[in-house]
Amino acid sequence: MPAIVEVRDLTKSFTRGTESIEVLQRLDLDVGHAEFLALMGPSGSGKTTLLNLIAGLDQPTDGSIHVAGLEISAMSESQLARWRTRHVGFVFQFYNLLPVLTAYENVELPLLLLPLTRSQRRTQVENALALVGLSDRMSHRPGQLSGGQQQRVGIARAIVTDPTIIVADEPTGDLDARSAHDVLDLLELLRSQLGKTIIMVTHDPKAADSAQRTLHLEKGRLVLDEVRMPREAFA
Amino acid sequence: MNISYAGSPFGFDTGLAELGGWLAFVLSVLILLGLVLGVISLVPFYFTLLAGEFTLFLTQNFGRGFKFLLISFRGLRRNLLRTSLTYLATFVLTFVICVIWSVLTFIDLVTTERETDFKAIVTERYQAPSQMPSKYEGDIVEAIKSLPEHLRPANVEDNVMTWSFIGGSTDPKVRSMENIIFFFALEPKKLLTMQYEPGELTEADVESLRTHIKTMEDNPRCVMVGPDKLKAMNKRVGDRIKVYTLGIVDIEFEVEIIGELPGDRMSSSAVMNRAYYYQSLQDYERRTGKKHPLEEGNGRTLNLVWIKLPNKEAFEAAAALVNDPAKFSAPAIKMETASSAVGSFLEAYRDILWGARYLFLPAVAITMSLVVANAISISVRERRTELAVLKVLGFQPWQLLLLVLSEALMVGALSGMISTGLAYYMVNIVGGGIKFPIAFFPKFMIRDSVLWLGPLLGMVTSLVGSLLPAISACRVKASNVFAKVS
Repeated sequence: MPAIVEVRDLTKSFTRGTESIEVLQRLDLDVGHAEFLALMGPSGSGKTTLLNLIAGLDQPTDGSIHVAGLEISAMSESQLARWRTRHVGFVFQFYNLLPVLTAYENVELPLLLLPLTRSQRRTQVENALALVGLSDRMSHRPGQLSGGQQQRVGIARAIVTDPTIIVADEPTGDLDARSAHDVLDLLELLRSQLGKTIIMVTHDPKAADSAQRTLHLEKGRLVLDEVRMPREAFA
Repeated sequence: MNISYAGSPFGFDTGLAELGGWLAFVLSVLILLGLVLGVISLVPFYFTLLAGEFTLFLTQNFGRGFKFLLISFRGLRRNLLRTSLTYLATFVLTFVICVIWSVLTFIDLVTTERETDFKAIVTERYQAPSQMPSKYEGDIVEAIKSLPEHLRPANVEDNVMTWSFIGGSTDPKVRSMENIIFFFALEPKKLLTMQYEPGELTEADVESLRTHIKTMEDNPRCVMVGPDKLKAMNKRVGDRIKVYTLGIVDIEFEVEIIGELPGDRMSSSAVMNRAYYYQSLQDYERRTGKKHPLEEGNGRTLNLVWIKLPNKEAFEAAAALVNDPAKFSAPAIKMETASSAVGSFLEAYRDILWGARYLFLPAVAITMSLVVANAISISVRERRTELAVLKVLGFQPWQLLLLVLSEALMVGALSGMISTGLAYYMVNIVGGGIKFPIAFFPKFMIRDSVLWLGPLLGMVTSLVGSLLPAISACRVKASNVFAKVS
């Protein structure tokens, strides 16, 4: 499987007062195309920091990150913002939909940053909402949707730009078991049907079981790399 | 309101204290009125917002800018209470600023010297109220006639008007606002040539005034009274009234009201043919066998003389003659332009006007900015996560800055527009102006320029107030907040 994310010698440190704290220490990682990767580890292990760096939300202290051949660790903040719009889809634990916008408008948000016509935007939004099974909820506002439905709108927003990778931070953390299962199935569908690369941070071992591969981090280092057979292998 | 210029024995000017109280009262009324109008105008405010949102919804195909603006409009719906309170505060403050600014601009206008068509006033030099002998009129006319031809008006007599002040009451015992009346005794024909400014009256008013002047000349007991005064006295055109004078010994007038004085400036005044006044003084002499006290010595029946002069040079030449103590010495008199006379009159209010212009108005504008800053800061703090999510999705900092600023600008512009629009409508069209007891201006009108100044003021103060919160919004670090939101 060709690597779509290549992390080399990645170090990230923060300064607190006069003390420098290394959150990630000389980390190497390859994530393949259409791979579903779960990042696990205790609080403070560096999993969210790693996710931030791969998603272009922060700059490493040292080392490099290539995504689909582009070195994002060398990009400026505004270049990263533009890159994120095109190449990264985000799924949040608390959905983070704009309460004053409808489901349709929330999903359309990232597309407003791209040079698309209204009809192109409409097609993409409708496809994304259809994919998550919410075609009939387009004009609903977040307050009118259940938690599971809101998360599915969040996923539709993440895939609407047809991104290279999808990053999800505890996507099932705020959901009941059934909704969590639906969301994980949906993520797996995105991987298997659309070939999306998914990187998910989770504390939930059940959620991690949905992924093909689980990385365990501790104190900024990779301590375990578990690879499972993809679901289609059992089909 | 009567303003006393005489200081109290303790050096405390009671007139100014009274004025201070009156200004505080006016300010309170303005704020209260602003609040009431503001609450009422919440309906058109939200209607405009919804209409704007609907229009943007329909026009969103025209470009992504329309879509962003639509998001800003929706943002205002997020917390209706806060949006309403921000709107109300901006509305009231804009309302107060615009009304006071109108008053100050009006005062500037009337105290600015003209370059042509000078209107000069001659009064007694050293005493107030001014009292001059009636023969001064002829002497002044002669003095003006002695000017070189290019400096004097074409017809000097037509350009000189005298005023004698006659205050009286229709009730000899109990005096009140309902029965007190104040007359300018003058030559009726001067009403057309001197009393009103060119263009001040409509054609119909001029025609009606011409008829009334003729009647007053035929029957000197006929008078004209302003509509507000008639209303206050509960009198009508056609009524006959007896006026017991105040300060003019043993003179009473029996007059017939033949018409209403046109124009706003004269709405609370009245005019009488001066011939009737002089006749009454002669009647007194016939009745008592001695001169009326006002005609003793040189006489003191003339209070003020108006002169129209073609230009500043003519005014200066005429003033040199009139101010000459060798020509006019008993009493000495002075000639000044109408605007400088008003300016001299307003000298007593100088500190208050200065304070209103340079302290009060800026203080209100700063308060407006602080109110907006406070509201937007709270809004930004509440939406920090949301703004961070937008940044995570790829929104650039300047786009977040515009998003926050545009919300504040919309509230500022709308409140400024509705506030000044309503102030203009209520004051100018419904109320016909605001009455101020300063000099002899009957009413102040809201200036037309307020209609664009108000929205601009609302926008600028909103911009200033929202700038810091907006900058803080666009500086949200995506990575930090992403960790928090997750």
